[in-house]
Amino acid sequence: MVYTTRQIGAKNTLDYKVYIEENGKPISSFHDIPLYADEANQIFNMVVEIPRWTNAKLEVSKEETLNPIIQDTKKGKLRYVRNCFPHHGYIHNYGAFPQTWEDPNSIHPETKAAGDNDPLDVLEIGETIGYTGQVKQVKVLGVMALLDEGETDWKVIVIDINDPLAPKLNDIEDVEKYFPGLLRATNEWFRIYKIPDGKPENQFAFSGEAKNKKYALDVIRECSDAWKNLIQGKSDVKGIELTNTTLSGTSTYSPSAGSAVAAAEQKEDAPVDKSVDKWFFISGSA
Amino acid sequence: MIRSINAVKAPLRRLLMTKSHLEVPSYGKVIQGSKYTPEYAQYLRLPNGEVGSFFHDVPLDLDREQQTVNMVVEISRWTNAKFEISRNRPFNPIIQDQKNGKVRFVDNIFPSHGFIHNYGAIPQTWEDPTVESSHEGVRGIKGDNDPLDCCEIGSSVLSMGDVKKVKILGSLALIDNGELDWKVLVIDVNDPLASKINNIDDIEIHFPNLLEATRNWFRDYKIPTGKPPNEFAFDGQYRGLTETMNVIQECHGSWRKLLRDSETNDSLPQIVRAGSGVVIKPEELPDAPVPKAVGTWHFIKKEKD
Repeated sequence: MVYTTRQIGAKNTLDYKVYIEENGKPISSFHDIPLYADEANQIFNMVVEIPRWTNAKLEVSKEETLNPIIQDTKKGKLRYVRNCFPHHGYIHNYGAFPQTWEDPNSIHPETKAAGDNDPLDVLEIGETIGYTGQVKQVKVLGVMALLDEGETDWKVIVIDINDPLAPKLNDIEDVEKYFPGLLRATNEWFRIYKIPDGKPENQFAFSGEAKNKKYALDVIRECSDAWKNLIQGKSDVKGIELTNTTLSGTSTYSPSAGSAVAAAEQKEDAPVDKSVDKWFFISGSA
Repeated sequence: MIRSINAVKAPLRRLLMTKSHLEVPSYGKVIQGSKYTPEYAQYLRLPNGEVGSFFHDVPLDLDREQQTVNMVVEISRWTNAKFEISRNRPFNPIIQDQKNGKVRFVDNIFPSHGFIHNYGAIPQTWEDPTVESSHEGVRGIKGDNDPLDCCEIGSSVLSMGDVKKVKILGSLALIDNGELDWKVLVIDVNDPLASKINNIDDIEIHFPNLLEATRNWFRDYKIPTGKPPNEFAFDGQYRGLTETMNVIQECHGSWRKLLRDSETNDSLPQIVRAGSGVVIKPEELPDAPVPKAVGTWHFIKKEKD
């Protein structure tokens, strides 16, 4: 399947929206893209929200019809993650697995925490910088269990199947072998990234260790099942917009929903506030 | 006539000098060509509108008491394109360095993205390639034929062609391909932290681990291109303020000598600078795309110790 994107509004503004299109028609980035690109070969679709080395906190909207990617806001202002030395912005291509949901109604037996009510987060480590709205085919390598302000927030570690190193990476230990220091940096990044905003350090379950591929696949399966219950109306929907254009068995199926979306706009990026450039030095983090 | 103009200007100049540790005159930029192509050039426009040289016409303005000097920004933090003041072209515009006919980008060495400082040069200085250094500790090593490099560590991302008044903090003596290539660490005098940072020790206090990251960066940055790690004089130890200011002064002396010697020696960088009344028109074109490979992160395997 070839997906394209439709941009509305200028980047770095409240109007900015990126829809994912199939055959030129907007679809839901949350519900309409199959989780599996090739189930037999364990290849997954990933929706890229945030390209590596950028700061804008872009995410699949839970509230807007067809779940376009928009920039998160805090108190009405656009949200950017801080640069915590030695990092610049996000250190992975950051995104989500479509057709997954971290159910806030269920407590995970091992992390003892509830889901964060979002699609499952994905960290893609390949050499190419992605773009917002890109649908990548990825291979799963492992998972880390961040406890972000008390909620379970799994971070699945993957690599683009087209990356030159992808054939050599098959499980979590291969990440350390070919990307020495990256898992440690990932752990540090998620622990400290909210400290400049006055928040405490985040915690990881499992003493911060990354779990292997098998464990990651189980987590994905659980989140896939949770999403199935959600889309079939078996769960408390928690404000999630479920309109979709492909799932004819669901009550929120609306094949023409895409025609209500505004036409694409070629708008130049708005300038980013200078404060986003600051590098925060957090002692004792390394 | 000329005398009388000077007489009028003198008090004004003195007034400017009292503030000289905080401000530099309003220089402009004249851009030609597309960024990331060999045709790109950014020239200095002097306050009077004529074109000048980043290398020779921006004054050094070394103030030993305030520990300040002028810096010309060549490369913004977190970018990869290797822009530098051309040593040979008339008026010394900032251009992108080339290797085998291709514009050059530095590789990203994990965990760094591009340059980790605002990188640039100190005008009216020159690391003399014709003379063996007499400086204690680097005796016998020749300079790299460029203006002194400097690394600005402040919180803002600075722009190519900015002329900044910076506070001198210390330096690192890199030996790059057998040539002496000092890296002077500085902070923009207008940075919110500038008043608190006076030396190398203060950098470690307010920017923990930046010194180590800086040393590693310069050591490793050419490894992905197949070159060995760079070496440092003084075992890689940072040098203090007084010594660093002496180095700047010495390199300013070398530059003054270059001004004289280049008139009779064609093998030295030739000097074309302001005063010729030349005006260059901007002919800026849209940026060329950056090659995808510039986005690659290189992971260098550490030797097990």
